[in-house]
Amino acid sequence: MNATSLTSILIWLPIAGAILIWVLPLSRYATGSLALLFSLAEVGFWIEQAARFDFSRSGLQMAERASWFGDLGVSYHVGVYGFSLWLVGLTVVAMAACTGYGFWVGRDRSRAYFGLMLLLTGATVGVFESQDLLVFYAFFEAMLIPLYVLIGVWGGARRMEATIKFVIYTMAGSLLMLAAIVVYGLQAGTFDLVDGPVSASRWLFLGFMVAFVIKAPLFPFHGWLPDAYREAPPEVSAVLSGVIAKAGLYGMLRIAIAKFPDPTSFYRTTVLALAAAALVYGSLLAFRATDFRGVVAYSSLAQSGLIALGLFAGTDLGFDGAVLQMVAHGLISTSLFLIAGAVERRTTTGEFRLLGGMARGRPALATLLMTVGIISLAVPGSASFAGEFLILAGVFQRAWWWSAIGAGAIVLAAMYMLRLISAVLHEARGSTVADEALDLRPGELALVVPLVAGLLFLSAWPAGISHHSFFGQSPAATVKGQFK
Amino acid sequence: MPGPDVAWYVAVAAVLFGIGALGVLIRRNTLVVLLSLELMLNAGNLALIALARHWHNGAGQIFALAVMAIAASEVCVGLGLVVALNRRRLSLDVDTLSELRG
Amino acid sequence: MTGGSWLCLLAPLGGTILITLCGTRIPRLAAAWIATTSVFVAFGGAVWTFVEMQSRQPRSRSEITTAWTWLQSGNFHAGLQLLVDPLSAVMMLIVSGVGGLIVLYSIGYMDGDDEERRYFAYIAFFVFSMLLLVEGGNLLLLLVGWGLVGLSSYLLIGFWHERPSAVQAAKKAFVMNAFGDATMALAFFILIAHTHSLDFGANFNVHLSSTAENLVALGLLGGAAAKSAQIPLQTWLPDAMEGPTPVSALIHAATMVTAGVYLIARTHPIFEQARTVELIAAGTGALTLLVAGLIALVQVDIKRVIAYSTMSQIGYMFLGAGVGAYANGMFHLLTHAFFKALLFMTAGLAIHALAGEQDIRNMRGLGRLMPFTKWCFLVGALALVGIPPFSGFFSKDSIVASAAALGTWYGWIFWVCGIAGAFLTGLYTFRLWFLVFPGEPSPFVREHYHDHHGREGAWTMLVPVGVLALLATVGGWLQWSPRWHPFTDWLAPAAQTLAVAAPTNTQEYYTSAATVIAGLAGIALAWAIYSEQTIAVPAAPFWRRTLEHKFWFDELYDAVFYKPAVALTNGLRREFEEPVVLQTGPDLGETTLATGSLVRRIQTGLLRTYVLFLAAGAAGVVLAFLIAK
Repeated sequence: MNATSLTSILIWLPIAGAILIWVLPLSRYATGSLALLFSLAEVGFWIEQAARFDFSRSGLQMAERASWFGDLGVSYHVGVYGFSLWLVGLTVVAMAACTGYGFWVGRDRSRAYFGLMLLLTGATVGVFESQDLLVFYAFFEAMLIPLYVLIGVWGGARRMEATIKFVIYTMAGSLLMLAAIVVYGLQAGTFDLVDGPVSASRWLFLGFMVAFVIKAPLFPFHGWLPDAYREAPPEVSAVLSGVIAKAGLYGMLRIAIAKFPDPTSFYRTTVLALAAAALVYGSLLAFRATDFRGVVAYSSLAQSGLIALGLFAGTDLGFDGAVLQMVAHGLISTSLFLIAGAVERRTTTGEFRLLGGMARGRPALATLLMTVGIISLAVPGSASFAGEFLILAGVFQRAWWWSAIGAGAIVLAAMYMLRLISAVLHEARGSTVADEALDLRPGELALVVPLVAGLLFLSAWPAGISHHSFFGQSPAATVKGQFK
Repeated sequence: MPGPDVAWYVAVAAVLFGIGALGVLIRRNTLVVLLSLELMLNAGNLALIALARHWHNGAGQIFALAVMAIAASEVCVGLGLVVALNRRRLSLDVDTLSELRG
Repeated sequence: MTGGSWLCLLAPLGGTILITLCGTRIPRLAAAWIATTSVFVAFGGAVWTFVEMQSRQPRSRSEITTAWTWLQSGNFHAGLQLLVDPLSAVMMLIVSGVGGLIVLYSIGYMDGDDEERRYFAYIAFFVFSMLLLVEGGNLLLLLVGWGLVGLSSYLLIGFWHERPSAVQAAKKAFVMNAFGDATMALAFFILIAHTHSLDFGANFNVHLSSTAENLVALGLLGGAAAKSAQIPLQTWLPDAMEGPTPVSALIHAATMVTAGVYLIARTHPIFEQARTVELIAAGTGALTLLVAGLIALVQVDIKRVIAYSTMSQIGYMFLGAGVGAYANGMFHLLTHAFFKALLFMTAGLAIHALAGEQDIRNMRGLGRLMPFTKWCFLVGALALVGIPPFSGFFSKDSIVASAAALGTWYGWIFWVCGIAGAFLTGLYTFRLWFLVFPGEPSPFVREHYHDHHGREGAWTMLVPVGVLALLATVGGWLQWSPRWHPFTDWLAPAAQTLAVAAPTNTQEYYTSAATVIAGLAGIALAWAIYSEQTIAVPAAPFWRRTLEHKFWFDELYDAVFYKPAVALTNGLRREFEEPVVLQTGPDLGETTLATGSLVRRIQTGLLRTYVLFLAAGAAGVVLAFLIAK
């Protein structure tokens, strides 16, 4: 197989799978197995892609390009850089785990459900791989459609409210981005991200940033987040915070920062302030949230802020740390939401006052939740510690107070994560925790353990990502040079 | 071949158009509304032909032919609708047909 | 030499992984022995390293090995590397040696707990973390060990996770330590910004501005104070006594809490460039040793008394390291590991025999039933007070003498604090002794005492106690500064004592005399008050309350940090998050809907209206053209 075709295969294979599932009148079990097969094949293809990726070479790799609207300068242009490779990997792995979770719990209307999950996979991979603004936009929107349906149909009691909020916020952002894309493309004569020139327009920068800041999200654009994360099915919340949020952060790196260097420096302090606000605000609210998913939701807000802090630091360490932290946090929050789902299935609730004491007699649940929770609060030596350390060291070179705020927020992170762990696992048994509530079953372990194993591997060798995301010795110079 | 000044033709066309428009606005019977519509179309035709002759330009006459064809097909559809309404024993009063009210 | 250090580091980690993976498939006792063996293997590795190191020239006793590049970005990189030098060799021996004895002791102590396997996995992991801390070959890896030690202490303190107080104590310890980690990380950011590196070598030879130097040293001091429970970050240590007693012995006496002293010794070139901060460290130590000694006077929980004495003794070590006598501080660390582990383990024997009772007011006369425990405790107590020939005498006195060697006004203040501390140590230690061991057994003791097959405890508990009693007696003979000082010479290549902090023999002698007299005075006073009851304790209710409330540090932090944070968050959620952020989306939706229902009135459904609009629109267009013309 040709190495370049891997890029397109990763996008279109799950979409083809989705169409197949919608067309074929298969049983629930067969549908789920087929979807799982497709998502595992995705993981396989990604491993192949990573194995063939040449980290010693600069520029776009495994690129494919075909003219689409030639006179407008629009082409189907896809390819990967080091950092997009990692995000694609995060997407396929997390999506495989979440599809597996949907299979495990036996979602009803299975053909619709699994088709949408596969469509979501393809679209998200497309976002991370596309090198043309219109293609990027198409995938960015295509990613949202399955999400609306997944939250609105399979969500919790207040799912419609959550969906509507999510639609309003993301549509508002996307439309501004579309306007910015059109203006940029017409001015530049091409919509291509690789060939396109840099722009000094602050309005265009803001148009892009609104979409990304809502998607990430940063303070105070997170109005959709708590409801969506609480009301969506757990595996969809996992995708939302683990993967989809990263699309916003990826957009900041690939488009806003790379294509708009002057506006980036002009608005740097503003964005850093928003990011720091997200970090502190998210940590504080996570500390007082009263339910499992609430804590994880607000901690995701905090983590997005932290990553944005790294990206907009504009230093070597900041960029590397941000990419590392995107992957680490993606794995962490996917695992946490899946575990939250497992807890909710056993107790019907995520409310802390009704939970507690689940550690006794459930060693696998306790061990996994402890491990993920502890990695998530960035205990030194973990992958997320490596990411946060690089980010804060990077932003320190911009100004010391950002790091001081970040370090304070990490102490808060310890407080809210330990609170979560002990509220679920420790002290007296909660009123909804029945004696016969089981430990994690082999099926659930098969979903969560690989994610945790990935985290432990990254903890042993964070340089695997931090040093293999940007070509050359200086990520900041690479970004400045348009990744060439 | 001298005839009346082109202004007279246009004036007649305008009067016809006005009558047709008033008919559409005021009358409630579907058939009469269709009738008034035809009147308006033909007012347009008259103006087109008169001005085509005045400017010695054949395009206007071609337009008039096209309008006639369209008018014919429009009458077909319109009458068909009227017949369909009648068949379903619905009122032919246009004001009662307000399903699209917002 | 490096082979031994890797063996030493990885053996306990292997033990943890093995126990975790085997889970319930192996019997409890097997898990216990896996942990014990792995820690003793680590001790073997440490001895191997030590022996090899000794055969080398003093100048070439330091070696760094790198396994792989752990973290890299731009031109910053930090390897997964170990440093073995005389300083880390000493720490490796202490951690794995004393640690091994304590793990062995745990086999008997934890026998019958239904989550024994988890305990042994945790404790082996703790030893691994601690070894990583002392062997880490660069500052980043040191921080990793630092954090993992905090983590494993969280796990062990909260081991009995069904007790809310244990969970609270564990969280408190972790958060306080996370604060220390954060200040250390900030210090490292400064170093990275200047040197792009966290290697020991690169950062020890660099000269920064004095502000930067002071900030770096302050950040490191913050970490050290948090880990070593020095004022103002001391409040977690007494609460941490919620953990099993061997944990208290291992973490809160012998190894982890002394890590701060190791940090100062390890990074002494940074502290020496920021001499003011180094002296602040010494001052912190002096203050802590007094405050902790005072609080210990009124505690009634046997473990808490010993915990406060730990804080106080670490205060001595900080004092020594802070004035520049690193070897003296480290020597006290060594002897303290022996006698404090001994004290905790004998206390553990007593607690175990009394079915978990920890209140010393109920324990009177226990010595009659437990003679072995009694005598071993006495050895530990005498070593703690610093009565010759027990080990504490040799190490503590030279620290106080180093303060005298400074010769400055603050040097003398430190000296006086050290002497006063010795008096307090004698008083609170023998208050404990006289309340618990001598005399006729109290009814409570008679009722609750139960022996272990005719002995005072399982052999796995008695053997380590015996070994440590021996070490607490003879361990100090290794060095008597005025006469022989192999320990100081050994450490000289890694942490040379500053010339200003090297006392003359005269200073050593009169300081020793003063501390021993002060200690004896303390013992005598304790005897008079608690044994003979010839002197009544002065009432002074205000002071008593102050001491019982531990100088109100907990209340202060609660009022200054916790409550405002909670109030702030609740306020934010009530006043901002719910009404503004979460409401914006629905509000936008409502507005859209309202506008829509306003606009829809135009759609009457009447053909005539539409035609009218059409005609009006056409007329408008025509009019517009006419006007434009």
